[in-house]
Amino acid sequence: MSVMTKRGRAGRAALNLFAAFGFLYLFLPIAFIVAFSFNDPQGKFNIVWSKFTLDNWKEPFSDRGLTDAFVTSLQIAAVSTLIATVLGSMIAIALSRYRFKGSAAYNFFLVLPLTTPEIVLGSSLATLFLGQSVVDFGFTTIVIAHAMFQVSFVALTVRARIRGFDWTLEQAAQDLGASPVRTFWKVTFPLILPGILAASLLAFALSLDDFIITFFNAGSTLTFPLQIFGAARVQLPPQINVLATVILVVTVAIMGTGSFMGERRRRRLGQTA
Amino acid sequence: MAAPVVSRVRNLTGSSSERIGLTGLVLVGVALLAVGARWVSGPIALVVLVLAALVVVGFITLAVLGSPETKRALSPYGLLKPGSLWLAIFYLAPLWTLLKISLSSKETRFAVFPTFSWEFSNYGKAFSDFGPQFTRAFLYAGIATALTILIGYPIAYVIAFRGGRFRNVLLGLVVIPFFTSYLIRTIAWTSILADSGPAVKVLDTLQLSGVLEFLNIMQDGKLINTPAAVIGGLTYNFLPFMILPIYVSLEKIDVRLVEAAQDLYSSASRAFRKVVVPLSIPGIFAGTLLTFIPAAGDFVNAQFLGNPNTTMIGNSIQDQFLRQNNYPVASAMSFVLMAIITVLVIIYSRFFGTEDLA
Amino acid sequence: MNAPKRGFSRRELLIRSGVVGAAGLSLPAILAACGGDDGGGGGADELFVENWPYYIDPTEDGATGTIDRFVAASGVKTTYSEAYNDNLEYFAKIQPLLGTGKTIDPDIIMPTQWMAGRLRKLGWLEKLPVDKVPNAKNLEDAFKNPPSDPTGEYSLPWQAGTAGIAYNIDVTGRELKSVADLFAPEFKGKIGMLTEMRDTIGLLLLGLGINPSTVTSFNDAAPAFEQLEKAKSDGQIRAFTGNDYMDDLSLGNFAACVGWSGDILQLQADNPSARFVIPEEGGTLWWDTMVVPKGAKNTAAAAKFMDYVYDPVQAAQITAWVQYMSPVKGVREELAKIDPELADDPLLFPDDATRARLYAFADLSDDVEAEFEEAFSAITGA
Repeated sequence: MSVMTKRGRAGRAALNLFAAFGFLYLFLPIAFIVAFSFNDPQGKFNIVWSKFTLDNWKEPFSDRGLTDAFVTSLQIAAVSTLIATVLGSMIAIALSRYRFKGSAAYNFFLVLPLTTPEIVLGSSLATLFLGQSVVDFGFTTIVIAHAMFQVSFVALTVRARIRGFDWTLEQAAQDLGASPVRTFWKVTFPLILPGILAASLLAFALSLDDFIITFFNAGSTLTFPLQIFGAARVQLPPQINVLATVILVVTVAIMGTGSFMGERRRRRLGQTA
Repeated sequence: MAAPVVSRVRNLTGSSSERIGLTGLVLVGVALLAVGARWVSGPIALVVLVLAALVVVGFITLAVLGSPETKRALSPYGLLKPGSLWLAIFYLAPLWTLLKISLSSKETRFAVFPTFSWEFSNYGKAFSDFGPQFTRAFLYAGIATALTILIGYPIAYVIAFRGGRFRNVLLGLVVIPFFTSYLIRTIAWTSILADSGPAVKVLDTLQLSGVLEFLNIMQDGKLINTPAAVIGGLTYNFLPFMILPIYVSLEKIDVRLVEAAQDLYSSASRAFRKVVVPLSIPGIFAGTLLTFIPAAGDFVNAQFLGNPNTTMIGNSIQDQFLRQNNYPVASAMSFVLMAIITVLVIIYSRFFGTEDLA
Repeated sequence: MNAPKRGFSRRELLIRSGVVGAAGLSLPAILAACGGDDGGGGGADELFVENWPYYIDPTEDGATGTIDRFVAASGVKTTYSEAYNDNLEYFAKIQPLLGTGKTIDPDIIMPTQWMAGRLRKLGWLEKLPVDKVPNAKNLEDAFKNPPSDPTGEYSLPWQAGTAGIAYNIDVTGRELKSVADLFAPEFKGKIGMLTEMRDTIGLLLLGLGINPSTVTSFNDAAPAFEQLEKAKSDGQIRAFTGNDYMDDLSLGNFAACVGWSGDILQLQADNPSARFVIPEEGGTLWWDTMVVPKGAKNTAAAAKFMDYVYDPVQAAQITAWVQYMSPVKGVREELAKIDPELADDPLLFPDDATRARLYAFADLSDDVEAEFEEAFSAITGA
């Protein structure tokens, strides 16, 4: 390592301090959200700290509208993530396994939905659904909307994750007599599964949280964010914070377990595939 | 009788199969786009759909009967088809209908379907009535993006170069706050910045209110319902979209390069400027796009943290669409926003390719 | 690595296809079940009511709410939803359905009277089954045959209220009396106004000496719009709100705002320094109405509900909680038995002098209304 001057050391410390503050900044609202889930607000809006209570946690589902909307969000996320994972993974495999004509253009096309502002995505889908009578605004349109941006997201994420994948493994399996289908299911799929699962977990979270696109295409159906937005004009019950904290903890737990198990697996196998 | 055809199919070479595969993909995509965007309707739409189905059938036949080479050449297109078709109908077709409605007008005030009439005045209206909102959107998004670079770059740098074993944990920490709902996070800021909230209290104790008032960050003693609050919200919500791409490009830098540079330049900061920064530019650009674009179209931050003088184009589009029922003008505004941003994306991908966005 | 058995792949394939097949079969089922097309099962035994939030007495603190009492008395299975947050927003939601001849789920919705007028003119309302609502005769004369529903066949008022000035006396330091107080420089950045155009502009018109019941064109109201625009760009107005003004007022974010009469009494329970006044120039009068959207399945059940809430005994219970003006005759006497103090409240039962100062906004023609709304949304900044 090069010789560190005193100024250099001070600069280093300053940078580390700055980064630490950065992390604090990132977590400040989260701390508030969790803290206020224990608040007993004076009015109907949980904005100012009043007094501590555990009641909200004892009755997290006391707000019927909120809970129903939460369940709807989960259902929508499940369906759309399923669709998007299947479609997106197929695209990812195609893009990373093969070199074919049009792959560069296709790459660009795939990125477009993610670089289009959500408000354009939402409003354009609304115009598509407006002019037809096959599907009414509601659950189906929301699922379609979510799956649309999730496909791009899953495709790109999975592709990034399986970039290092050694496709010659497939050839080896086929040389040993396995059919292409079998090779896929027994060799390729298990190895790229972690990448797919990670992408679909992120896609699921994206769907749960989506607001702008859903806002334009929901009709009268209420998802969790929509319910909060609509009701936010009249009330902000602490149950919102409770549910949000739950989602946070669960997602972190899943992510943590996933990466922990991945670490263990890697250590067991001795090296990455 | 089918034998010569089958053998013909069997003899297809790899590259011609590729061409067939690509053409087939494009054809089916266009067909679905046509139906979705209603270029064709009624019986013609049915015909188009049948043709598309035939193409798919032909594709599958080819894949089944063809030589292994053909199979190999066609498989990517087969894998791509379902996802692409989904995107064709639900991403491209809507953009077309958006354009179409932006050039339409409503016959009666509450008609559900506007009629197409080359109504360019919608675009005129979009600019004249909502010019300030457009400007504010790009201004706030621009400032917010600059702030995310200022705050995010050091964080990414520390994780990449000082993270060591804890890199993944630190990255996880960056991402975790964003597993709470976007809305709830923004509402949390209304708590933090409230008139009777902690931020204002701290500033008052530190006697900084006057300074901030002078800088127009605080207005009349308020931190919230100010442009600064809106920009702050935007900065916060899009920070990880800047940190992650910068991290990715920093991580790729070989540490030995940096050490060598430090030896050569005999100053860490010069080494940084001359070596690290240029190599991280792709990350900065990717982050800029991923931050600026959604921020420009946002309306949630302005709604909760702003005041009637800080509304952004997103608020206007949302209002025109969902309250004023003015689909034509709203679509025009949406389309203009999209057009401006697409131009930026094209310029970006020309220079840097789209690999780094992944 | 263990060698895979011969028949394993076929079994696996069957299992996998079974999973896929089940998913494929159940997917449409899931979609159908979760889709909004479930709606009411039809008949006179189910009802879906869509109302504004906090607009009916709930079951709490030992008291049984009106909905639960209704269900017990009539046996009608009732779904009560409070998703009606804003007239224009709700209209935008139902427009793609009612405008193309489809139906919406609720059997009763509660638009404000001007929106009810719009829905009626568009032909999106069913005639009320008045023969099944005998208690409709209890409707106060003042609400009979309004401009928004000249024949009175399409709407029945739910509650009426006034818009006036709500303020926090701790913040203002003094009593407010006039619309002009909203523009006082000492309250810069601490004034709130409503997103409900007719209430905000109506109040401003009164402040400028113009009668909102008689405006027929945009020019008549232009001075109010100009005044509002100036106040906004000067930073006088902090925000345009819906119901959420209450907390801002309570917290002191607003010194004063345009507010609704029924909310204030509730607000004072939270914060005694809240006050409400009908300005000396006058206040605006509005009422929300029960209407039946076209194609509603359960018109018979809807009739039962309307009949139930127009019984003065039940209406008094509702009024006791929501604390708005009831359109039902005889409520005052019934209310005196439950809550004598409320029965004397001038905001719930205005005397003639106060009534003379309340003005309902004129019924605007479509074109003029469009101009008003465009100008207003340009100012509210959306």
